[in-house]
Amino acid sequence: MPKKRVLLVDDNSVVRSLVRQLFELTPDFEVSGEAENGRDAVEKAESLKPDLIILDLSMPVMTGLDAAPLLRKLLPDTRIILFTVQDGPHVEQLARAAGIHAVVSKNQLASKLILQARAMLASIEQEHRPSKFRTAS
Amino acid sequence: MTDHDTSTSQNIKYPHWQREFEAALLEGDAQKLRKLVDAAEAAIFLRSQALVECAQGHEEQQAISDAIRTLRDIQREKLGYPDWNKK
Repeated sequence: MPKKRVLLVDDNSVVRSLVRQLFELTPDFEVSGEAENGRDAVEKAESLKPDLIILDLSMPVMTGLDAAPLLRKLLPDTRIILFTVQDGPHVEQLARAAGIHAVVSKNQLASKLILQARAMLASIEQEHRPSKFRTAS
Repeated sequence: MTDHDTSTSQNIKYPHWQREFEAALLEGDAQKLRKLVDAAEAAIFLRSQALVECAQGHEEQQAISDAIRTLRDIQREKLGYPDWNKK
């Protein structure tokens, strides 16, 4: 099975580097690019066509919440995870309204991000499988 | 500044991130400030990872939440970050 391509979007280069290392330790994924704000993400996503975007919330130039609807329009099949220190019901609600598929808190173990990414991409595989091969849920 | 007087002191209670955080609080130059805020955020992120499985970390987690809120205010007010909570 081909590796799933991941675009990392965070204004903090240390956080990007740590998350990159985490994904690169996981055989299912390859990090195809990085972006440092929402606008940069939109520009890069068009050419990189990632399967998954890990998106920070608070960034200069364009926030994750402003970038998400543009990314969804550009790449409707791409899954987006908001990876942020700002968690809670309010952020979850704003994220859902922006078309983001899941929110993972930076205050949890970062390995949870990988688990969420795997679960999300498994659901895509399931959707694209012919109906007779789908697992009943 | 009064809000932060308790933390900007000789006593470093949270050595993994407090120095970086206080350096950001005290910086006036915008170019340097961005780097210091990034360094504080990175230190807090790393420390948060370590605190997840630490049963004694509640007080520090609360201090981290307060620090994150302050860093967001600095980013918005001094570094021109857009406000994600404007809607």
